[in-house]
Amino acid sequence: MATVQVSEAEKVYILHGIRDDLRVDGRGCEDYRHMEIETDVVSNTDGSAKVTLGHTAVLVGVKADIGKPRPMVPNEGYFEFFVDCSANATPEFEGRGGEELGTELSNTLYKVFNNKHSVDLKSLCISAGEHCWVLYVDVLLLQCDGNLYDAISVAIKAALFNTKIPRVHISADEEGGKEIELSDDPYDCMRLNVENVPCIVTLCKVGHRHVVDATLQEKACSVASLIISVTHKGTVTCTRKVGGGSLDPESIFEMTEAGKRVGKNLHAPLMKLLQQEESLGKTRQKVGFLG
Amino acid sequence: MPTDTKRVRGPEVSQSPSLFLCKPATVLPSQGPRADGRQRDQVDVRPVFVRCGLVSQAKGSAYIEAGNTKLMCCVYGPRETERKDETDMKCGRLTTDMRFAPFSCLERGSWIQGSQDKDLSLMLHESLQPAVCLNKYPRSQIEVNVMVLENSGSVLAHAVTCASLALADAGIEMYDLVLGCSIRQDGASYVVDPSYMEENSCSSASSRNQGGLTVAFLPSLNQISGLQSDGEMTEETLAAGVRTCIEGCYKLYPVIQQALAKAVRRAAPPPSES
Repeated sequence: MATVQVSEAEKVYILHGIRDDLRVDGRGCEDYRHMEIETDVVSNTDGSAKVTLGHTAVLVGVKADIGKPRPMVPNEGYFEFFVDCSANATPEFEGRGGEELGTELSNTLYKVFNNKHSVDLKSLCISAGEHCWVLYVDVLLLQCDGNLYDAISVAIKAALFNTKIPRVHISADEEGGKEIELSDDPYDCMRLNVENVPCIVTLCKVGHRHVVDATLQEKACSVASLIISVTHKGTVTCTRKVGGGSLDPESIFEMTEAGKRVGKNLHAPLMKLLQQEESLGKTRQKVGFLG
Repeated sequence: MPTDTKRVRGPEVSQSPSLFLCKPATVLPSQGPRADGRQRDQVDVRPVFVRCGLVSQAKGSAYIEAGNTKLMCCVYGPRETERKDETDMKCGRLTTDMRFAPFSCLERGSWIQGSQDKDLSLMLHESLQPAVCLNKYPRSQIEVNVMVLENSGSVLAHAVTCASLALADAGIEMYDLVLGCSIRQDGASYVVDPSYMEENSCSSASSRNQGGLTVAFLPSLNQISGLQSDGEMTEETLAAGVRTCIEGCYKLYPVIQQALAKAVRRAAPPPSES
């Protein structure tokens, strides 16, 4: 992750502030920065979203391809995640520098979606054992200012909400083989139900308290963080401790509880916002990348 | 895609014969005793065989066997590292690498590190780092290499234990031993130290509370240095699972301490009274 150098005096200042529930930019310990979400930004994809969280900017594109289902689960489609840390974000990511971070992020995403209820994979099946939809979710980090996991998970949820998968008809051709036909109407498509898609909350342990949505300076003062992915019902799909420090079991329980609370509260406003944006339809003003 | 030019490979696409079985794979029952006779809903870890000092060329090494899971770990270092940046001047660096032998799992894996191997190496690194006194080894690098010889469940937990033993055997200063324990939650009941079949069976019955959890724990300091869970669980189940794993680590602690003491005594026998 991109790092900043923080002096000892600054660390003490940040620590004392967080102890009194006051962070450097005036937020409380469980407040997020200003978040902006826009969907349908890239026209070549089947679904896309761009999320700006403070100075962190993330762009997600979803493409649906027809592929062969996995041998062990022939009646389900699957996801493929790929996170690219672009050299635009920080010079540390130039060349292969960002590869390690990218693999860590994509491995965590696989774990987050590795359960039966996040997305209905059976709806992605075209014909069992032969064809299914494979959703390639590609994440591009444009700017890095801390809290990548949260921004990426919100962007993925928005992009999946925006994804339009074309409807296919299977017909038998002359030799008895199966032929796949895409429907002619470009608006005849299937949407995914993203109600159960989890959102990731990162909690950093700073001093004796934990903070949500840490900036790079706060991250430099913390020893360890806990990543927890929560669905709208409050079920936890993935947790992971990151960082080079150790945590007390009591603080882990405290942080899981706080993460669940914060994560649960994130879903309702997000869905409302996405549905509102969708309902604007053609009248929506596109902000794009320069707004 | 990196290709392996050193080995003669078979056809590109080959599948394991287990996919072509006539009867469907048996779904393990979620009640009653487990396949190997242990109890569910109790902290029933597999008996563990541990030995230090197996690899003579390495600074420190350890071998662990739990049920059918077999792993070995070698530690090299502290070695000098070129000064890359300022942080290297003040404290040492720990490098971890975890690999699966291709014959270790039910289906043949490849020698090239997949993303799962990299993920496990990273988890191992995060679990070991808090325990090693890296500030005592400035400008040095300590390498930990774990090789899984047979994967029969809860590989990460045993790798953490094995690696911390190997570090202790190498004489690297540590704050405490790191022990790993994992559980698998299946509906309302859980199994501690799951075997490979228990880890990968997906019981279709219960929809809530299905998942696995691995915890790396420092017993004398009462600190958790590594935590990883996947699947779907409620927060209460997760907290209960963490407590169960901590109990499992406490159960394992005396065995590991004894093995380490035995290895030290063997290496430097006490002076005979004369």
